[in-house]
Amino acid sequence: MATLYYLILAPMVYLAVAVSVLGTLWRIARLLRAPAAPPPPPIYPSRKPSWLFALGDALLLPSVFKHNAPLWAALGLFHLGLAALFLGHLELVADFKALQLIPHSIFLGKGLIGLTVLVCLMYFLCRRMVSPTKELSVPEDYLLLVLLLFTVLFGAQMDWARTWFGYSSMGVDEYRGYLSSLIRLKPSVEGVTSAGHSFMLVAHVFFANLLIMAFPFTKLMHAIFTFAMNKFRRG
Amino acid sequence: MSTIAYAKELDLRNLPCPMPVVKISKGIKEVAVGEVVKAITTDPGALTDFPAWAKTSGHQILETETTGTEVNFYIKRLK
Amino acid sequence: MEAQLHDSLVTLFESKLSTQMLLNLETCSRCGICTPACHAYASMPLAKYAPAYRAEVVRRIYKRYFTKQGRFMPVLGEAKDITDAALVELKEAAYSCTGCRRCMVYCPFGIDTQQIMSIAKLLLIGAQAEPETLSMLADMSVSKGENIDALKEGFLSGIKRLEDQVVEKWRSQGEHPIPTDVVGADVLYVALAGAHSIIPAAAVFNAAGEKWSLSFFEAVNFGAFVGDPTKTRLILDRIVNEAKRLKVKEVCICECGTAVRVAKQLKDAPFAVVGLTEMHARYLRQGRIKLRKLPGSYTYHDPCQIARNGGVYDEPRYILRHLVEDFREMSPDPKYNWCCGGGGGLVAMGEETLEFRMQSAKVKAEQMRGSKAEVVVTACENCHTQLSDLNRHYALGQRVVFLSSLVADALIP
Repeated sequence: MATLYYLILAPMVYLAVAVSVLGTLWRIARLLRAPAAPPPPPIYPSRKPSWLFALGDALLLPSVFKHNAPLWAALGLFHLGLAALFLGHLELVADFKALQLIPHSIFLGKGLIGLTVLVCLMYFLCRRMVSPTKELSVPEDYLLLVLLLFTVLFGAQMDWARTWFGYSSMGVDEYRGYLSSLIRLKPSVEGVTSAGHSFMLVAHVFFANLLIMAFPFTKLMHAIFTFAMNKFRRG
Repeated sequence: MSTIAYAKELDLRNLPCPMPVVKISKGIKEVAVGEVVKAITTDPGALTDFPAWAKTSGHQILETETTGTEVNFYIKRLK
Repeated sequence: MEAQLHDSLVTLFESKLSTQMLLNLETCSRCGICTPACHAYASMPLAKYAPAYRAEVVRRIYKRYFTKQGRFMPVLGEAKDITDAALVELKEAAYSCTGCRRCMVYCPFGIDTQQIMSIAKLLLIGAQAEPETLSMLADMSVSKGENIDALKEGFLSGIKRLEDQVVEKWRSQGEHPIPTDVVGADVLYVALAGAHSIIPAAAVFNAAGEKWSLSFFEAVNFGAFVGDPTKTRLILDRIVNEAKRLKVKEVCICECGTAVRVAKQLKDAPFAVVGLTEMHARYLRQGRIKLRKLPGSYTYHDPCQIARNGGVYDEPRYILRHLVEDFREMSPDPKYNWCCGGGGGLVAMGEETLEFRMQSAKVKAEQMRGSKAEVVVTACENCHTQLSDLNRHYALGQRVVFLSSLVADALIP
């Protein structure tokens, strides 16, 4: 079991990041290498500067707001939640002053943001089980949602899991020690593998690894491509 | 007036683009090979469209006859 | 399907993979926001008419041959081989899409379904499974360009007869109100084959004192309808060459959405390209023509290729303000105007698509009826034909007219 934990928490993380970074670069390079064709016209009426409106389209999803407000709200909460969780993970790596503009203690693992994201994911999943989105969906769509769901579920409820042991085991300092050791390329997993709820962290990291690896080979790339696409539409 | 005998007459007057050519290309298939279709048109474009169509589709315009504002084509199905 | 044909279709697919096309194929998250945007889906709520579903028909083939996921784990994205059955699906997807790009306004990424459908159309050409009528029309257009010297005489005799009609209706238009082959003309006007596309335009050009020349060629590009880039270029080149030969400053395209869009995409041409509506608005602004007001209530249908995909929203409304007292908008925001349901070559296929066109454009008919206008004005041949068909089919009791005809009818000498 210890070996399995180690493999997931150290080598698999590096593998996932390598696959993800190289895969993403390969996808982008492929796009840039592709021949240029005369672009079709943009959608009118056009507004200038087009790059600014394209950025607005990519970040604020105004067309979703106009045509499906509940979905827009869920997408907004979901993506903001992901951004907050990303920043939360940065806080585990080191103390960044910029992140303490609003002073706060480490919030990661307390579950509130994670729960919000979970509710959004459940909504996305249910949406895909009903027509007409059902007919548009392919297995990839469900699989990614399930992967996200598991990743968030195990990550977000870490604090709750600590309550089983009266907060006596593995907490923020241990998470920090593990994550910063990974960044320093000197992985140290001892602090996070012996606690009663270590399986939560291992499961979280395992599903996160799968997600990170899937990134360049799935529709998750929309996170990057949306800017170029929206710029094309704006002209 | 032309004396060419025809098996089918198509009234293609005042039709929107590109209906005259669409209808003649369908109409010609409704007569036997060797038979003639008479097409009555009013579009000036038909005077270039019909010969170009006949050339690409392998049929033969036997005669083009002008009567007032109309142009009649006599087209023989060759294949 | 024979292996040779299969391989050639894969190569053909690859030829379409530009940077923008790859983005169109790789960005969709299948969120389905675009679903209600399509007039076909809004009229007949079947999944196959959802824009993302149409695109997925092409995307599944793309995944199979051009992505790692499709090669190694085809089940994830339901990647599909090119087969005879796939061709049937491609045909249904491509020829139930009018290329209006209304879905592109809804999509959070701006995915261009029409661009994706251009792959389907090219594959169908490669498999010789494209609609025969559209290919026939494109071949005819290309042949006309190749044989124009032999065909000129017949065209000129046809124009001569039209001139009498122009003089009869609009006196003081001179002896030759439809000039052709005028070297040094300011404007080359490219019309359609029909007299209705030439006579009113001629009357307005002459009233504005324009130095113009009528093209020997028709404006509509059947190559674009059938999705054949080579033929599209050959058909457009006929007009470009004529414009260069006559050394014109502007090429004015008649009321034909596809023709306007294709011509406006020209790069580095020694002349500018304008649509007839823009030309008429310019004449009005410059005081070169004067119009009397026409009685009745009017609404305007924005042709997708001219408005949403061409940016010409203000000009027709400016003209109509000078033409009529009672103007009613058809859609609160013209960007969201429903497509007429006849684009993408559907109208050009005539009666073979009539039933689908009438069913899929039910929302358009409701929009026309909802305007409560007596007259529906438009500026595209395709739209005009389709709206007229809808008017008959749904017994709307309206009159469908070209904007240019209204302008010509209202000319004050």
